[in-house]
Amino acid sequence: MKRRQGWLFFIIFLLTLSVYLLINYPLQLGLDLQGGSQLTLQIIKEEGKVTNDELDAVYSVIDRRVNNLGVSESNLQTLGGDQLILELPGEQNPLVASRVLGKTALLEFRTQKEGTSTNLKNLQIQRLNIKELTEQFSISENSQYDANLIKIIQDDLKEIEQELDYSSTSSDLYGKLIEIKKYIDKEITNLFIKTDLSGKDLINAGRRQEQTNSNWEVLLTFSSSGGEKFAKLTKSIAGTNQLLAIILDGESISEASVGSQFANTGITGGSATISGNFSAENARELEVQLKGGSLPLPIEIVEANTIGALLGSKNILKSLYAAICGLILVGIFMIFNYRILGFVSVLSLVLYGFLNLALYSLIPVTLTLPGISGLILSIGMAVDANILIFERIREELDDGNTLTRSIDSGFQRANSSIVDGHITTILSCFVLFLLGTNFVKGFAATLGIGVLISLFTSLNCSKTILRFFTTYQTLRQKSLYLPRKNFSN
Amino acid sequence: MKYNLELIKNKRKIISFSTVLILLSLIGILYSTFNTSYKKPINLGMDFVGGNEIRIERVCEEECSNFSPDSVIEYLREISQNKNVLNNIKLQSQNNNKLISIRTPYLSIEESTNLINNLDNIIGPLNYESKDSRLIGPKLGKRLLINCVTSLLVSLFAISLYITIRFDKKYALFALLALFHDLLIVFGIFSWLGIILSVEVNSLFAVSLLTIAGYSVNDTVVIFDRIRENLRSSKKGYNENIQLSVNESFRRTTFTSITTLIPLLSLILFGSYSLFWFSLSLSLGIIIGSYSSILLAPSFLLED
Repeated sequence: MKRRQGWLFFIIFLLTLSVYLLINYPLQLGLDLQGGSQLTLQIIKEEGKVTNDELDAVYSVIDRRVNNLGVSESNLQTLGGDQLILELPGEQNPLVASRVLGKTALLEFRTQKEGTSTNLKNLQIQRLNIKELTEQFSISENSQYDANLIKIIQDDLKEIEQELDYSSTSSDLYGKLIEIKKYIDKEITNLFIKTDLSGKDLINAGRRQEQTNSNWEVLLTFSSSGGEKFAKLTKSIAGTNQLLAIILDGESISEASVGSQFANTGITGGSATISGNFSAENARELEVQLKGGSLPLPIEIVEANTIGALLGSKNILKSLYAAICGLILVGIFMIFNYRILGFVSVLSLVLYGFLNLALYSLIPVTLTLPGISGLILSIGMAVDANILIFERIREELDDGNTLTRSIDSGFQRANSSIVDGHITTILSCFVLFLLGTNFVKGFAATLGIGVLISLFTSLNCSKTILRFFTTYQTLRQKSLYLPRKNFSN
Repeated sequence: MKYNLELIKNKRKIISFSTVLILLSLIGILYSTFNTSYKKPINLGMDFVGGNEIRIERVCEEECSNFSPDSVIEYLREISQNKNVLNNIKLQSQNNNKLISIRTPYLSIEESTNLINNLDNIIGPLNYESKDSRLIGPKLGKRLLINCVTSLLVSLFAISLYITIRFDKKYALFALLALFHDLLIVFGIFSWLGIILSVEVNSLFAVSLLTIAGYSVNDTVVIFDRIRENLRSSKKGYNENIQLSVNESFRRTTFTSITTLIPLLSLILFGSYSLFWFSLSLSLGIIIGSYSSILLAPSFLLED
C-alpha cells in the first residue's frame, strides 16, 4: 500500500509539473494553426547526391538572404538531406521571398569579344523593343480587354522573332515575352568573355535611387583584391569600344563602356554601380541576393502553402471543439458502461491529456492539424487499454474473486494484449516519422507520444487511482464495478 | 451480459460476405485503372500529382449569390496570361457562393498571386485572412507518392515481422490476411469514391491506411491472445473454444471501436475540411477492422 501511495504522489507531482510547463512554455503552433506561409526549397543536382557540405553551404546562403530580407520570426530548416523548409509566420507575402530565394545569383563581370559591336547593338535594340511590348501588355492587362492591342503586340513579337531567328515555345503571350527577353540576355552574354572578377569578390551591396530619374541602381563594394581586379579589368578596356557586361545567372543585366580617362589606373576605389533600369523592388531583391552570395547549387521552390491568420484561428477552434467533444462523449460512454471504473479512466485520461500537452511543449512538438488529429486518435487508443483491463476485472469479479484480487489480476492479464497493441502502433508511427513528410511527421509524432504515454497512464495511473478509491469503504461495493444489469438482478 | 455469436454456423456466410466485398473493391480498382480519365487504381490528389489549390472567402452578403463559376472562368481566361493553366482550371463555390475554391495545374508563386489578383478584380473583395493556398510542384508530388508507398510497405513489413515472431505461423498468417482484407476494402471504397464523386486521396490517406493497419492488427491480436489462452486451459472442443473466445472479447472489441469512433466522428463533424476524408477513411477502416477481427480472422481458424 505504501508503494502505491508513493505512485499517487508521483502522479499528482506529474500533473502539477505539466500544468506548470504548459503555463510557462506555451505550445508551438504550426502555420496551419497560426497562419503564415511555408516554402519547400529543393536543391537541384544533376548527378549524385547532395553532400552535407553542399547542404550546409546552400543553407547558409539562404539563411543570409532571408535575414537580409528582414522577414520577422522566420524559421529555416533542412529536410531529408536535399530540401529546405522556410516558414514565414503571419501575413507576410511569400512572393518576394520566393523571387529572392529561387535565384542562384551568380554574378559575373565579362568583357566584350572583338568585332561583336553590330551584333550587340542589334540585340540591344530588340531588347528595348521587347521591353516596350511588355509594358504595353501590362497596361492592357490592367484595363479593359482589347483584342486589337493584343493583336498588335503579337504581330510585333513575330517580327522580333524573325529578326532574331528564334521561335518561342511558350503557349501564352506573356510567357513568350519573358522567354524572348531571356533569350536576348543570354545571347548578349555570349558576346562577352569571362574574367576572373565575380560575385565572390564582393563584400557588400546596396541600392540607391538615381538622381536623374526614378530608377534605382545597385551599388557593389569589392573586397581589396576584388577592387584591384576591377581596376585592372577596367584599365584594360578603358577608351576602347569594348564594353564591360555585368551578368547575373547567365543573363546580361547591364553593359557599359569605360571612359578613356581611366586608361592609366582603371576604375579605383573598390566600388561599382549597376544601373539597369531597376524598379525599387528589383533593386532590393538584387541587393539581398548579392549580399547573401551566390548559391553553390541551384534550387527550385517545389511547394508553397499559405494559410490566412483568420483561417488558422478557425482551425484551432474547430479542432478544439472536436477534441473536447470527443473527450466528453468518450467520458460519458465510459462512466455509463463501467461506472466507478469509468470514472477512474476519465481521471487517467485527463492526466493523459495534460502529460501529452506538457511533453509537446517540452520536446518541443509543433502542433499542426494532422498533429491534433493524431492526439485525438490516440485518446481512442488510450481508452482501449482501459477497456481491456476493465473487462478482465469484471470477468474476475464474475468468477467470485475479491475486489482487490480482481483488480490485480485484471491488470496483470490485460498486460500482454495492451503491450502488443501499443507496439504495433508505435512501429507504424516510427516508420511514418522516419519516412514521412513534414505533414505526416506531425501526425506520427503526436500519435507515437500519445501511445507511449498511454502505456504509462493506463497500466500505472489507472491502477493507482483505482487502488486509492478502494481504500474507501463506500467505494468497495462490488456492485459499483459490475454492469448495471447484474446490479438489478 | 453474455453474447452469443454463432460463429461456427455462419462461417460460410462470413467468408462469402468478405469475398464479395473484396471482389467489389477489386472491380473498383480495375475500373479506376482502365476506365477513368486519370488511369490510376485510385484518384491521386494534388499531393501526388502537383498543382495549385486556393480556397478563399469573399467579403459580401446577399450580392454574393449573383455569379456563376463558368462566367468567372470566362473572365479569367480573357485577362489571364497562362492559357494552358486556364484550360484545366476548376472553380467551385460553396456556402452561397461565399467560399471559392480553385484548382489548377502547377503554377509558380508569381502566377498564383496573379490569379488571385485577377479573381479579386472579378468577384472581390476577397478576405485574404481566410486564404488557404497550396502549391505543389510535380517533382515533389512524385517524390511524395514514392515516399508514401515505401512508408506503407516498410511498416506493413515491420508489423508482419512482429506478428510472425509473436505468434505461431498459422495465427500470424490469418492475422495478416485479415489486415490486408481491411486495407484492400478501404482502398477499394476510395477507388469507388474517386470514380463516383471524384474524391481524391492525398498523403493523409496513406497515413490513415497505416493507422488502420496498426489498429486492425491490434484488435486481431487481442482476440487471438484470448483464443490461445482458452485453448490451453479449457477442455471444450477446438471450434467451441474459438467461438467462446470471440464472444468473450466481443464487448471489448466493439467498445474500443466505439470509443475510437467517437473522437473521429467529432473530427468529421467539427474538424477542419482538410481532415474530413482522413477521418472518414479512418472510421471506415476501424469499422471494417472490428468486423474482420471479430468475425473473419477467427473464422479462418475454425476447422470444418
